[in-house]
Amino acid sequence: MHESSSLLHTAEVVHWIALIVMAVVYTMRLRWLFKFKPGVDRSAPGSPARTNAKRGGFYSLFNVAMPWSMESTRKGFAFYLTFVIFHIGVVAGISLAFLSTIAPGLVAARPFAWVCGVALVAAFGVAVYRVFRRLFRPVMKLISTPDDYFSLFMLTIWFGLGAVTQAHLAGVAGFESVNLLVAYLFLTSFFLIYVPFSKISHYLYYPFTRLWIGRTLGHRGSYPIARG
Amino acid sequence: MSKPAKTHKIKMMEEQLARKLNRQVVGSLVGCVHCGMCNECCHYVLSHPDDPKMTPSYKADQVRKLFKANHDWTGSVFPWWVGADKAPLTDDDLDKLKDIAFGTCTNCRRCTINCPMGVDTATLNRIMRGLLTHVGVMPEGVRVVSKDQWELGNQMGVLKEDYLDTLEWMSEELEEDLGHGEAAIPVDKPGARVMYAINPREVKYDPRTIKEAALIFWAAGEDWTMPSEGWDNTNFGLFSGDDGLGGASAKREYDKARELGVDKIVISECGHGYRSTRCEGVNWSGDAQAFPMESSVITMLNYIKEGKIVVDPTKNPKRVTFHDSCNNARSCGFYEEPRELLRLVTTDFQEMYPNRAENFCCTGGGGAMSMSEYTPRRLKSAQIKANQIRETGAEIVVTSCHNCVDGLSDLIKHYKLGCEVKQLVDLVADALVLEECYVMKSRPVAVAAVASEEPAAAARPVPVAAPAAAAPLAGRKVLVVDDEEDIRTFLVTVFEDAGAEVEQAADGNECLAKARTFKPDLISLDLSMPGKSGVDAFVELRRTEETQEIPVCVVTGHPEFRQVIYDRPVPPPEGYLNKPVDEDKLVSYVAHIIEHREAKAN
Repeated sequence: MHESSSLLHTAEVVHWIALIVMAVVYTMRLRWLFKFKPGVDRSAPGSPARTNAKRGGFYSLFNVAMPWSMESTRKGFAFYLTFVIFHIGVVAGISLAFLSTIAPGLVAARPFAWVCGVALVAAFGVAVYRVFRRLFRPVMKLISTPDDYFSLFMLTIWFGLGAVTQAHLAGVAGFESVNLLVAYLFLTSFFLIYVPFSKISHYLYYPFTRLWIGRTLGHRGSYPIARG
Repeated sequence: MSKPAKTHKIKMMEEQLARKLNRQVVGSLVGCVHCGMCNECCHYVLSHPDDPKMTPSYKADQVRKLFKANHDWTGSVFPWWVGADKAPLTDDDLDKLKDIAFGTCTNCRRCTINCPMGVDTATLNRIMRGLLTHVGVMPEGVRVVSKDQWELGNQMGVLKEDYLDTLEWMSEELEEDLGHGEAAIPVDKPGARVMYAINPREVKYDPRTIKEAALIFWAAGEDWTMPSEGWDNTNFGLFSGDDGLGGASAKREYDKARELGVDKIVISECGHGYRSTRCEGVNWSGDAQAFPMESSVITMLNYIKEGKIVVDPTKNPKRVTFHDSCNNARSCGFYEEPRELLRLVTTDFQEMYPNRAENFCCTGGGGAMSMSEYTPRRLKSAQIKANQIRETGAEIVVTSCHNCVDGLSDLIKHYKLGCEVKQLVDLVADALVLEECYVMKSRPVAVAAVASEEPAAAARPVPVAAPAAAAPLAGRKVLVVDDEEDIRTFLVTVFEDAGAEVEQAADGNECLAKARTFKPDLISLDLSMPGKSGVDAFVELRRTEETQEIPVCVVTGHPEFRQVIYDRPVPPPEGYLNKPVDEDKLVSYVAHIIEHREAKAN
């Protein structure tokens, strides 16, 4: 760890503590989920020649990478792209936070800086679009809770702050203040603690919800979706 | 302002919710990110673009709020943060929930397969229906139908004697058609290979499908039977969300099949019946010893593949398209076999788009046909399906579901599509080449001679004959009541051609007067008429001593009035047919009603 300032050092320590807190809370969350009885399907397999539970489960789990698999992503391909950009931005932001503390040389390197910076800027743009979408589309307003708004606002800020922090770490002129990194790490720490209690924890449940629905519909013969 | 205290019903719903939770359900409750991608997959949304409350995630949020307020960490501590503060508290809230859960969703599951998170929104809506049903909050139609299924074992309140009488009637018709009684429908035959379970709609409104199935079973040389109990393959528990009813109804079928010692249950063409009997019933009833169950579509297809029946597709030359039932295609993966069969029995099949698991609901699913209060909304949402059908240019829409038959018939009429709805059993029966079927090839020569006068023709197969009775209504008196002159003329002609003496009336008052003077054997009654309506006239007929015994067959262009008339505190009509009505069906139906009434009187 580099120690360019005591505040930065504190931010880094808090950041790692927050990660541990998140891991603990996530473990508790999963224990909570698995305390519920499993749903059992006693029905006979649907059309085993076409598919089965295992195939349906795999198809469902990886349909995130198959925009052609659902009508909603086929017809709404532009929205699917914003989803991809948004989540690549999340990966870039998390990578930046952790690598800045354990491999500062890497995040300062040009290729990383470019890739991460572009990803964060693009994600910031998408997040701004999503803020407007959630604020002004009647359907989105109707279904949104304070948690939905807050999570999106904070992520938008986080993407923006991440982009300028990357610029700082890459030595771009005009972004010299180390406080950018400090602020970014504190904000990331906040997220790590807040996320398990918010809608952002959806990624924790995602593999399970997708696998379960996929196994069920695969067993019944509906997954993978057939078209003709 | 302080919040009102939770009512007893709300507390009961919360307790019931806790019992319904399992990992998959909880996953769907916590997994939604409110991304809105389910929005444009729903036929209610697409047909009500200005009403955001039609969006599936909003519907699922109703049960999600209840869950978050009681089971979720954040929702328990900071309910307002996750919307749990808007969970229902009073009985007034329940009426709003009823409208959402029953009136804006057919549980078709199209949103489920389009959710990127794998959230089963339709199942959440069914859970909400179940919670409401648990505390007695449900549309009147759902209440009546559920009650019938609990008490009488079938969802249309068909009495056992009427059911058995209908089977006998169909056996007699087959005898008339074939010239012999070999194809009679066996009832409670122990040790038969197949038990055939049907939809009560077939008994009540379309018994021809029973006759057609019986003909096919006979032609294939099948060892089959129909049960005297546990014959209803449908299950209103699927629609009302009442797993108890679902389990009890399914168990009736399974128990009867075990009692008879059959090898398998064959389920007549019904989407929710297939899903309930074959897939969900074993889960609801906890019946671990499920035995083979298959759709009659698969049975018919196998008969053709095995050469037990032979079909001629040129007998069905009109352009057909296929509508996938949501329950069959999305929830049971049952979509290729109907197409395979359809291609074997027709010559001009045009695919509908989207199709299979991505097909749109007929809008009659989820019990929607029994909830007349939501009919205008349902018909508006049917615009999507109407457009789909119109684009195929088909003259016949084929489906493997009785609910879909009703839903599609309704929307075809509403949107003036000018096509008819059929099931595969109709087309297979029409395409049968009886002389080539198993039963004809394997029978001794002497048996085939029944219908033949020439000794040389004894070995020839018996063709499917035209109905033997030329004047099935000879000597009967029928009163036709309808305000539209062309329809009145049509009905009068049909009945006169069938040998009946016919009088006509143009409104309710004239109907009552002629019922007293003409003393008909049956009244064919329209419901929607100026002046005294058919509904009012019907009630008065039933309440007047000298007319209360006259059988009434409602012939209406408003299927949604069905519930209205059945809700009246008088005995229901003996028959109910939707316009446009098929001539043969009308005559045979009316003749049966009159014969049945006479048999009862004797």
